[in-house]
Amino acid sequence: MNPSGSNPKVQQAWFSLLKSRTAGLACFTTLILVWMSLWNPTFLAWSNLRDIAVAAAPVCIISCGLMLVLVLGEIDISVGSMMGVLAAAMGAMASASRWHLPPGVAMVGTLILGVFIGAINGWLVAYLKVPSIMVTLGMLTALRGVTEVIMGGQWITDLPPELRSLGTGTWLGIPICLWVTAAVVLISLWLIHRSTLGRRIYAIGSHPKAARLAGLPIARTQCLVFAWTGFLTAVATLVSVPQLSVVDAGIGVGMELLVVTCVVVGGTAVSGGIGNLSGVLLGALLMTMISTVLIFMKLGENATYWSRAIQGLFILGAILLEPWTRSRKKP
Amino acid sequence: MDAFEEKTMKARLPSWLVTPESLLIGLSMAFWFIMGKLDHSFLQWEVQRELSTHIWETALMALPMTLIILTGGIDLSIGSIMSLSAVTAGLLHQAGWPMPMGCLAAMVVGMACGWLNGWFITRFKVHPLMITLASMAAFRGMAEGVSQARPLSGFPESFTRMGNDAWLGLPIAGWIFAGSLAMAVWIMHAHRLGRCIHAIGYNEQAARFSGLRVDRMLLGLYTLSGLSAAMAAILFMARRNTAKADIGAGVELGVITAVVMGGVSIFGGRGTLAGVCLGLFLIHETREFVSWHWSRDELNLLALGVLLILSVVFQQLLGHKRPS
Amino acid sequence: MSLLVAQQIHHSYGGTQALCDVSLEIEPGEWHALCGENGAGKSTLIKIISGVEPPDQGSVTLDGNPLPMGRIHAVEQAGVVAVHQEPVVFPHLSTIDNVFVGREPGRLGGLWLDRDRMARGARQVMHQLGEDLPLEQPVGELSLAQRQMVSIARALLNDCRILILDEPTASLSARETQSLFRAIKQLQAQGVGILYVSHRLEEIFQMADRVTVLRDGRMVGTHSIASIQRSDLIQMMVGRPLDASSAARPLPREEQAPALLEVQGLSRAGVFDHIDFAIQSGEILGLSGLVGAGRTEIARAIFGLDPIDTGSITMDGQPMPEGFQIHDAMDRGMALVPEDRQRQGLILPESVEDNLTLPSLKAFSKFLGLDRDSRGKAAHGLIQRMGIKTAKPSSPAQSLSGGNQQKIVLGKWVYRQPRLFLLDEPTRGVDIGAKEEVHRMIRTLARSGSAILLISSDMPEILQLSDRILVLCQGRIRGEVTGSQATAEQLLEWALPPERPDAA
Repeated sequence: MNPSGSNPKVQQAWFSLLKSRTAGLACFTTLILVWMSLWNPTFLAWSNLRDIAVAAAPVCIISCGLMLVLVLGEIDISVGSMMGVLAAAMGAMASASRWHLPPGVAMVGTLILGVFIGAINGWLVAYLKVPSIMVTLGMLTALRGVTEVIMGGQWITDLPPELRSLGTGTWLGIPICLWVTAAVVLISLWLIHRSTLGRRIYAIGSHPKAARLAGLPIARTQCLVFAWTGFLTAVATLVSVPQLSVVDAGIGVGMELLVVTCVVVGGTAVSGGIGNLSGVLLGALLMTMISTVLIFMKLGENATYWSRAIQGLFILGAILLEPWTRSRKKP
Repeated sequence: MDAFEEKTMKARLPSWLVTPESLLIGLSMAFWFIMGKLDHSFLQWEVQRELSTHIWETALMALPMTLIILTGGIDLSIGSIMSLSAVTAGLLHQAGWPMPMGCLAAMVVGMACGWLNGWFITRFKVHPLMITLASMAAFRGMAEGVSQARPLSGFPESFTRMGNDAWLGLPIAGWIFAGSLAMAVWIMHAHRLGRCIHAIGYNEQAARFSGLRVDRMLLGLYTLSGLSAAMAAILFMARRNTAKADIGAGVELGVITAVVMGGVSIFGGRGTLAGVCLGLFLIHETREFVSWHWSRDELNLLALGVLLILSVVFQQLLGHKRPS
Repeated sequence: MSLLVAQQIHHSYGGTQALCDVSLEIEPGEWHALCGENGAGKSTLIKIISGVEPPDQGSVTLDGNPLPMGRIHAVEQAGVVAVHQEPVVFPHLSTIDNVFVGREPGRLGGLWLDRDRMARGARQVMHQLGEDLPLEQPVGELSLAQRQMVSIARALLNDCRILILDEPTASLSARETQSLFRAIKQLQAQGVGILYVSHRLEEIFQMADRVTVLRDGRMVGTHSIASIQRSDLIQMMVGRPLDASSAARPLPREEQAPALLEVQGLSRAGVFDHIDFAIQSGEILGLSGLVGAGRTEIARAIFGLDPIDTGSITMDGQPMPEGFQIHDAMDRGMALVPEDRQRQGLILPESVEDNLTLPSLKAFSKFLGLDRDSRGKAAHGLIQRMGIKTAKPSSPAQSLSGGNQQKIVLGKWVYRQPRLFLLDEPTRGVDIGAKEEVHRMIRTLARSGSAILLISSDMPEILQLSDRILVLCQGRIRGEVTGSQATAEQLLEWALPPERPDAA
């Protein structure tokens, strides 16, 4: 009697279901686009699609980092508060009424701060072995507090034009934030497919015990992934916050849930080891499209209030579908 | 003996001295001493009683949360259940329902939400973290959608009196908490459910193998958590005479921090209600003192986040390990 | 000079001696087989040689250099690699990635992986092994045989000198087995020494050069294959001095009592097939067989832990309902003492008293809560009755020895006075004294009317205690014999997998 009962064909069928998650998302997104253009032709206008892409840009950027966190088998729900504190820091550094530093310094400072905060998360998870949910839950609140301390109850409205151009400027007709997003995506592709670090991340997430037996540097990898997410959050802050006319203490609230939803809907397994970039990007596009769709369908302003509920349902659905996409031979 | 007890033995200290609970008592006394020195007026009974109104809702929700974390699970959605329950009661009141019926409906909604959490967790064997993360968004989203994020108010005076009156020196909300605490203590120490909860937290598989009805118990605990969130919503509405979809936002953090600070292991099994009460007390006093003395609410959030991280790090150092 | 030399290895777990003065030598390019029944010490020896654990005493050298004991990664780098029955691979990574994990070739120091070189290297090593695997597919999708190949390929790329294979063919088809042997022969030709653990004696006689037999943690001997016969091998594996196994045999049962438990046609795909047996009250039915034969799975199915495909389970003439759960089984009077004492049988951080009374809490519950007095008294009584040695009832179960821990697991069920006891390896890892006490307890339970299903890999134990013995092989019942007529050789012969009809 063969106790393991393996059948390669059945397994292949299950795995093509996973691969089709990306295809399925692409179909779904296309369907929505088609539906919306039929409903209201202005949906397909360049300005509208460009706005959707620009709104999706910061979500895409952070998702590239958060996807790796989930592949590793951890979670990071502090990215929203990170964005808030980075925005506040950026504003405080660059604003004429605050510290009035040169815009270049403010930019670099924000990036360094992002790496620093991410590294703290990583250090707590990797070396003190604190569960990542607890670390990032605490960070989520602590950073929001720091944001409010920095802002001091006021708004910042006088960002220098150099910074503003990051958010609103264009190059060759395409907004700078989309160029940055493309660069981040390319770097992420390299990271995942062509770097040793990428292989390690997937290996550790796939089978942590085997990774330890193989002598992989687990703690260092965990630290790096969290620091990278912090860096990407800073990048996302730099290209999205200057688009706003004011910087206040409420920036980034809810961002973490949106990003986690995108990543999970995009096919990244919460249990680790699985995740592909195209699914994540499509997920980001889809989720940001939803609020626009709700507005366009003229369900009234009330409709946008349902976007969070829809997010929750999406993430629930993605989580429940996950066992079907997990490899059957997972030890 | 586990790592914690080993370390205690090595330090040759009596084991009761190095429990998280006695450390908390020490911390509380130290805090009071420092606070008294910095600002004597803070310690007056009237002031304390007035300030205590802020804590009862968190404290109420911390009780089922303790039981849930003891089993090795977690419930991130209590804030959202609170929102949804409040919105339910508010809307029904607006539609002309008598307040008691509205409150009853709110409690039913809360229990239903909790039951849904428990059902997904036990039926689909998904980690409670992910399920309650999703339901956190879904429930609050429903609250926002249904109420269109508008505040609801104008509750009858008999209702708001409940939130602001005191009886024998303690606010009514405090009595409700005291009653719930008594019930929680009874469950954990007198009833067999307490033994079962510890067993499930330490080793769920062995608990199942011993015939414990684990799924049924977990379902009950998450439903209870939902109910407590609904009750907290009612207390809030009575106190502030308003119901809005964001009243529960961020509440889960305070509750979880209090429980974890109280010495309950995040991996489950180990922990006491006494510790959680001390944790609640410490968080409350720190928060209120910061607002009182420095009038800066923002530092609260920072302190709370740091406290949670420190508590968990402390637990790690004490050797609370994930059950293998 | 020998390639690998293990000398005078002593190792014990808790109170039991797992290995006693075991020595082994493997020549370069030798296929060295390791035989012994369950619990003989084979896996312990493998763990020590491959670096999972350091031995209490003794040393292992490779090419004359001592191996770093107890560090798997270091031992692997030195050249000793173990491939287990369930190979340790990264299921979501492709074959190429799996083979190169931790050692990816690249330019610019890991910044740009040389995927071409990786693909070429993987293809080359697969060709060397004579295999044709899909290289880009996630390894989790591959069959067990293919995953074993990936594991071996990885070892090969690591310049391994000694390859340890732990029952690799247990789940393989004849064709897959031949592929594996072809690959192993390739390695042999390159001078790699093979340490091969298997119960398939015909394979050993077909492929191995020498064989070492272990029994009860001791070496019986090392012989060249050419110089012995199959019956000699079996004799070495189970033959014991006559007095040990013929002592205190149960007399054949006279009365024909009605069956308490009746199992008919029990089947679960891939696990067990058409299991029929019955146990009377007061009877001890031994279930013998190799690890993986399906014994534990049958017990779990009877207790309601796992579902079954077809078949019926009848207690006291009443069939168990469809999809019944543990509490249904308990209500009908069943009890299961699981195989994994620490993970499934006990709540280690909790007290002895808590553990003993956990399944029976309802009995101590009154309206206002638990009756602590009666619970404490019951626990105290159980501690006395089972002979549990503990400082006080509130000591954590962790602090007790293996034997006493096992008594707790047994005791918590004894309190409920079940009609049917399912015992899965009740004396594994238990010292001699406690073992005797547990045996006495089992006999007492049977005398007082409980039916007992005894799953054990300990030959003397199952021969001494059982009224009847069933032998399971690969999920089917292969033979049945009364306790007084059974011999260890016969039991092992039935337990060993039959020779494959299509073997080359």
